[in-house]
Amino acid sequence: MSVMKNIFKKAYDYLDERLHLEDLVHFMGKKYVPVHSHSVWYYFGGVSLFFFIVQVTTGILLLFYYKAGPDLAFESIQYIMSKVHFGWLIRSIHGWAANLFILAAVIHMFSVYFEKAYRKPRELTWVTGMLMLFLAMGFGFSGYLLPWNELAFFATKVGSDIAGAVPVIGEPLKILMRGGPDVTGATLSRLFGFHVALFPGIFTVVLGIHLILIQRQGISEPLEFEHLPQKEKKTMPFFPNFLLRDLLLWLVMLNLLAILAVFFPAELGHKADPFGSAPAGIKPEWYFLFMFQSLKYFPAHIFIFEGEVLGILMFGAAFALWLLVPFWDVKTARGEKNRFITYLGIFAIMFIIVLTILGWVL
Amino acid sequence: MKNVIMLTLVVILFSSLQQSSAKTPESSDQCFICHEQLGGVADQFKKDIHFQKGISCSGCHGGNSKSDDMETAMSKAAGFIGVPKGDVISQRCANCHAKKEMMEKFGSHLPTNQFALLQESVHGQLSINGKEKIVQCITCHNAHGIVSVKNPASPVYPLNVPNTCGKCHSDAKFMQTYNPSLAVDQVAKYRTSVHGMLNAKGDPKPAECASCHGSHGIRSVADTKSQVYALNIPETCSKCHSDAQYMAGYKIPTDQYAKYAASVHGKALLVKHDVGAPACNSCHGNHGATPPGVESISKVCGTCHALNADLFSKSPHKQAFDKEKLPECETCHSNHEILPATKAMLGVDKEAVCSRCHSESKNTKGYQVAKSMRTYIDSLDASETLALKLINDAEQKGMEVSETKFKLRDAHQAILEARTMVHSFDEAKFKEVVVGKGLAVTKASITEANEAIDNYFFRRYGLMVSVLIISLLCVALYLYIKQVEKKQASKAS
Repeated sequence: MSVMKNIFKKAYDYLDERLHLEDLVHFMGKKYVPVHSHSVWYYFGGVSLFFFIVQVTTGILLLFYYKAGPDLAFESIQYIMSKVHFGWLIRSIHGWAANLFILAAVIHMFSVYFEKAYRKPRELTWVTGMLMLFLAMGFGFSGYLLPWNELAFFATKVGSDIAGAVPVIGEPLKILMRGGPDVTGATLSRLFGFHVALFPGIFTVVLGIHLILIQRQGISEPLEFEHLPQKEKKTMPFFPNFLLRDLLLWLVMLNLLAILAVFFPAELGHKADPFGSAPAGIKPEWYFLFMFQSLKYFPAHIFIFEGEVLGILMFGAAFALWLLVPFWDVKTARGEKNRFITYLGIFAIMFIIVLTILGWVL
Repeated sequence: MKNVIMLTLVVILFSSLQQSSAKTPESSDQCFICHEQLGGVADQFKKDIHFQKGISCSGCHGGNSKSDDMETAMSKAAGFIGVPKGDVISQRCANCHAKKEMMEKFGSHLPTNQFALLQESVHGQLSINGKEKIVQCITCHNAHGIVSVKNPASPVYPLNVPNTCGKCHSDAKFMQTYNPSLAVDQVAKYRTSVHGMLNAKGDPKPAECASCHGSHGIRSVADTKSQVYALNIPETCSKCHSDAQYMAGYKIPTDQYAKYAASVHGKALLVKHDVGAPACNSCHGNHGATPPGVESISKVCGTCHALNADLFSKSPHKQAFDKEKLPECETCHSNHEILPATKAMLGVDKEAVCSRCHSESKNTKGYQVAKSMRTYIDSLDASETLALKLINDAEQKGMEVSETKFKLRDAHQAILEARTMVHSFDEAKFKEVVVGKGLAVTKASITEANEAIDNYFFRRYGLMVSVLIISLLCVALYLYIKQVEKKQASKAS
């Protein structure tokens, strides 16, 4: 044991001499995380990060065998699932971690929203977080087509059709997504490019900014917590206490991923046939379901507008407002309670849950 | 002299009027009175059913048949059209034949849809000049000597139909302008058929062209509404061949259609609508319809089942069957009621066809071969069933075995191949297919399916181990955190 300690110490001293690690340890040691009744939500940022790391790792492993192209994609996935050692595990973990990543990110986003942690000076942290959430959805949409199975093919067709309904930019956007007027091999190549190069590149940069901002500004305190006298503020050191707890949660998540991957492995489906008819009950991934279902309830025409177009525009406006909440929520910025924001958040959650359930059941 | 000539003319005219009035109620038909003097078509018209029904020349040619003034009678003002040409011919016939009230006026109960049917038929298409239809009524019925279809003098009387149709259909030069790929030997073939020979002998009952193709509404063989379209042939033949009363006297059974409909061929054609499946004409021929002879049966079946026929003809059974005068394929498979070939036909059981000739005491070599062949095919069947069960098990467990499932198709292919190879009656060749191809595939599939099932359990056990390790790490980390925080608390205090 003492031998191991000696080796670690020597390695640490070697690096410290060259990189001055002591400064970093000192900086981290001085960072504190507020401890209060809602502290549990702080962990979801870290959990999201964990799932992202899992996605990058498993994604790279899948890249070793995956071949993009309408003639090869499905077959390569079939090969991964049946022939590659632990290929089934890697693909299943990639599929499950993708869903859990978005779930964790959504929980993280709502916890920040309800704590109003986006308020000055953390507006940019919020904006970068929201951008990452949109990118995560982009990852989900682009990754969904890659197995080139029936469900993926038609879900992409329906999804890109919806995007195509946006006035003015819809059609060019659809062509950009599809690489042509229809979902073809060109769409597969394009979405593969987005999924493994473009999105990860942008995401890494935005994630870097997000993490730097957090390290620079520290963990946000709730409004009530801010007003407490310094003595009454309970905190814990970020390093090692919070980081170790984060690590513990990561291990629990790893266990959860392993169980899900073994008991509910990713399905292969049937190879996509562009000339075949769409299978019954085509539905998008669960995180798009509430929007998909809502659009169904819009009448064909509202005044002079097409119902679907109006619906898409309304969602666009809602997302834009949500993204810019730190800039128009002036009440919170002044340090006052803003109940409207809380009610709006509760309405949004209820809306998403109800519409998702309806979309799932109907 | 002048008076004598005048008297003679009056006598001739009077006597002709007498004759006319004696033969037809329309004694005032001035067209006929004059044209009879000229002979030719008027003579033919005397025999015409229309003449007998009192229909004047003007019925078709127009004009005023009551006027004895030639210029008035044959004037355009009186509707005279001269010799009808092109489509006007059929149109003139349709003026009466398409109108029920008109036909009833003359006491006829003929159907009034012939013209409509003709227009829809292949003969109702435009001819090569693009101006008129290929066939007019008179093409088959003649113009001035039209008699009832029941009259043996009619060109459409059953005994005359083949020659009437053959006027065009046996004329290669004429037919190539319409359909160069259509054969022109139908009449010649027909004359070699049982139908044709009886027809030539003066029996009007056997089928002639119109019996199968229809008369006015003849459609192309590729037209689904045609009586001779592949799917409709069995029913067309059965109209006569299933009618016991009609067939009485010909000494052939009338249950062929019922047997055929229940057969593998009948189900493929009539139920699955597979137009590639054989109908009556596929084995019996169409225009030259005749029952295949004993030795030609394998040739007939062999047109589709080429490999089976080839293997059979090279097998020891060929000579034995010929010697015993057994109808080759029919001996084991029957003729009209051919049922799907199953392994039950093979072997030495009571149901097996082999056991009809082979037993432990009679034709023993064949008995042993049949017994072995059945054992091989049984083992392949059992092996395929096991492989399928294991693949399904693996699939139910969520394992990816689609490639194995695909591979197992080769075993089924081997079973089909074995069904063909059985016609060689060669044990070694049969074994090569069943064991060499079929069992090799099923064994490999069983191994792969078992591996997939083992892998399923490996995953479960692997998960248990990994969950245990990760959980231990979680506990260790938790204890470490507690330890760190305890140290921090004691330091702070």
